[in-house]
Amino acid sequence: MILRSIEMESFGRFHGQTIEFRRGMNLVIGPNEAGKSTIAEAVPAVLFGTDRLERYKPWGRNACSASLFFEGGGRTIQIKRNLVTDEVELVERDDLYQPLSQFSGNAPLRGRSSSCREYRELLESLLGVADEKLFRATYFFGHQPQEWTGDELAQKIRTLVSGTAEVDYADVLDRLLDEHFNLTRSNPWGRDKQRDREYEETCRELENHEPVDTVPVFVEIDDSNEISRQIESLSDELVSDRLEYEKGLRYVEHVRNRQTTIAEMSPRTVQEESPAPGAAGDDDICKQLAAAGLPEDPPRDLVELLAEATEIRQEMSALQQPYAALGNREKKIPGVPWTVLLSVCALLVLVTGAAWWRQFHPWPVSSFAGIVVLLLSGWCGWRFTMSRKARNECKTERGRMDQKKSAIQQRQSLLSERCEALGLPSSPIDLVRLQKLVSSNRDLLETYWRRPAPGQPVDDIAVQDEPLPREQNGDAGSEEVVHVDELQEMEARLAEFEAEMSRKEGRLQELNRQLENLASSRRAGTGGNATALQKRKYELESRITLLRKAINLLADAVDEFSRSHLLRLNHEAGKLFAKITAGRYAEIRLDENMVPSVLVDRRRWMPADSFSKGTIDALYLALRTALTKIRDDGRTLPLMLDDPFVHLDQKRLATALNLVDLASADGQLVLFSHNLELGKRAARERWHVVPLDWGTVDTSTAEEGGENAGQLHLL
Amino acid sequence: MTGLLGSDQIKSLAGEESVRGVLVRMVLEQAEGADSDEVKLLEQALQLLLSRFQAMEEDAS
Repeated sequence: MILRSIEMESFGRFHGQTIEFRRGMNLVIGPNEAGKSTIAEAVPAVLFGTDRLERYKPWGRNACSASLFFEGGGRTIQIKRNLVTDEVELVERDDLYQPLSQFSGNAPLRGRSSSCREYRELLESLLGVADEKLFRATYFFGHQPQEWTGDELAQKIRTLVSGTAEVDYADVLDRLLDEHFNLTRSNPWGRDKQRDREYEETCRELENHEPVDTVPVFVEIDDSNEISRQIESLSDELVSDRLEYEKGLRYVEHVRNRQTTIAEMSPRTVQEESPAPGAAGDDDICKQLAAAGLPEDPPRDLVELLAEATEIRQEMSALQQPYAALGNREKKIPGVPWTVLLSVCALLVLVTGAAWWRQFHPWPVSSFAGIVVLLLSGWCGWRFTMSRKARNECKTERGRMDQKKSAIQQRQSLLSERCEALGLPSSPIDLVRLQKLVSSNRDLLETYWRRPAPGQPVDDIAVQDEPLPREQNGDAGSEEVVHVDELQEMEARLAEFEAEMSRKEGRLQELNRQLENLASSRRAGTGGNATALQKRKYELESRITLLRKAINLLADAVDEFSRSHLLRLNHEAGKLFAKITAGRYAEIRLDENMVPSVLVDRRRWMPADSFSKGTIDALYLALRTALTKIRDDGRTLPLMLDDPFVHLDQKRLATALNLVDLASADGQLVLFSHNLELGKRAARERWHVVPLDWGTVDTSTAEEGGENAGQLHLL
Repeated sequence: MTGLLGSDQIKSLAGEESVRGVLVRMVLEQAEGADSDEVKLLEQALQLLLSRFQAMEEDAS
């Protein structure tokens, strides 16, 4: 692709002028301040925009715009930019002038909008470059330094292959390595492994420090508030556990005593020992009740209360299953596939649009799409109705169950109030426990209830006392067997509970020790904060890992680039260099650091430093041209040389022009110069010349028209 | 792929015929079969490298 023309409607000192170019060598010649650099700058300004608008905006006008026309491979690309508003119009056309791709929108130099991204992607695909700096680094040759050294040349090449305008990948690598070496002496790159760095010092300091504890997560340790909170919570748990444990112990002890008593008592003995109503002292019965774990003054309606508690408990547990079933049923209610509906609709709209646009059976396609949308909408509507119905049913069912649950809870709370009023425990668990005690001590309770109340005649007892309803019809033997089993189970549970409590106590001690260590290390002051050291060590390890990964990745990428591109680069540059030097030097070789060397006499490789300035210039030009070719993969843009040889004497200039001429053979090269001597060369070599008027650039017409129209016009 | 590795900038860089382009392509390839920790490390390393390139470019210009 070549740059066919630059049309400057209003750009710098140019108004309504068109500069045309050809394939091969182009010379834009004019005195200083004639506008050569302005023309050169028009290319990146139109392609990417500029942040130096004031420089190019004509004096007294509020307009600044220019267009570029590229041509090649049977295509033309026109890019027009209004530099004031950064509005860009890009059109790519084929050889029949039919548009292939186009863009119209705002695309400022440093814009990040989607429109900018779209434009840059298009530029990248059409011209192979989407970055202004990179464009300048690749296609622009400014004034070269007086003297190149081999190292400078290598650095320049490394910068170019890095893919940036100014940064040498080796510098990036060096900085990362420096950072790594500053952190640790342990490195695989063999530099100064003797001196300890921050990581080793931190580790040593940590080793000297008294170990804090075995808990590895120092973030937790660091936070003493967190430890205090844990201690508080664990202490509360332990207090509650101890109470439960003591209760359990008492209960087990009671059951055990009770079993012993029952085993020892024969019916006769019981008959003999049973206190006759009014005969046994109140104190004895009360003592027995207390020993059995029963309340000292059990109310007469205790059994009724316990029966009601059992009933409530059973009703509550019966509710669990329907709740779970309802939850599952709610989860299984299918949703409505709105996304599918919308996607299908969008697809059908696209298909219909395409059918209308292409006029491909538009009516049948539209009808089909309409039917599909209707059917799909109907199906979704039906699904929605069914789903809503199911949800409503579930909601009603849940409401009914909630009502039932609430009624049960109300009964439970009434029962609790009654129990509390009678001095009985009110929690469901305590009531279950009491239920068991009552069952196993019914005889004792009956005896207690039969005894006359203080001041009550004994005769009244028969009237007052009614036989207790028996909950179990089993005999004493079967009741005893059940209790033996229960007792063993209870003892096992109690042992487990005790072990769990021991674990919690151990954890509590450990936490207390941690807190104490933390406080003492803080009190110890400098160097004593093991937590901070641990944290720093962790940070250093993370950073070192990251740096190593980054260094290895970049080093691998350089190796990979060398493997995949260096041969071709050497080949292309060598071919060009051989042409420039008329076959004297046939081959160029870049080593892994991009340091060039040249094959001399077909047997010796010599570093670039050992050649003359002219040869090094030629080498540089050959390498840059080859690099550009590889980078752009055949989409080569013109090379722009803005007086690059201004420092050269006549002899070197002639050599440099030779190589420039040769470099242009495969593409397009635009040389901007004020040197009139170049005109003679241009005439001899039949370059395309664009003269800029020496006095009246504003009114002159630049090169327009035929192949030779501009040549030597000036001279 | 999400985050940095799925960004437009990375996709664009991956098409470059340069060391930077090769670097991005390598990271994307390695991230394909890696576990989440490794992907995170690769992403951080690439971010570190690209930000270094950018910072040094800004310093130089």
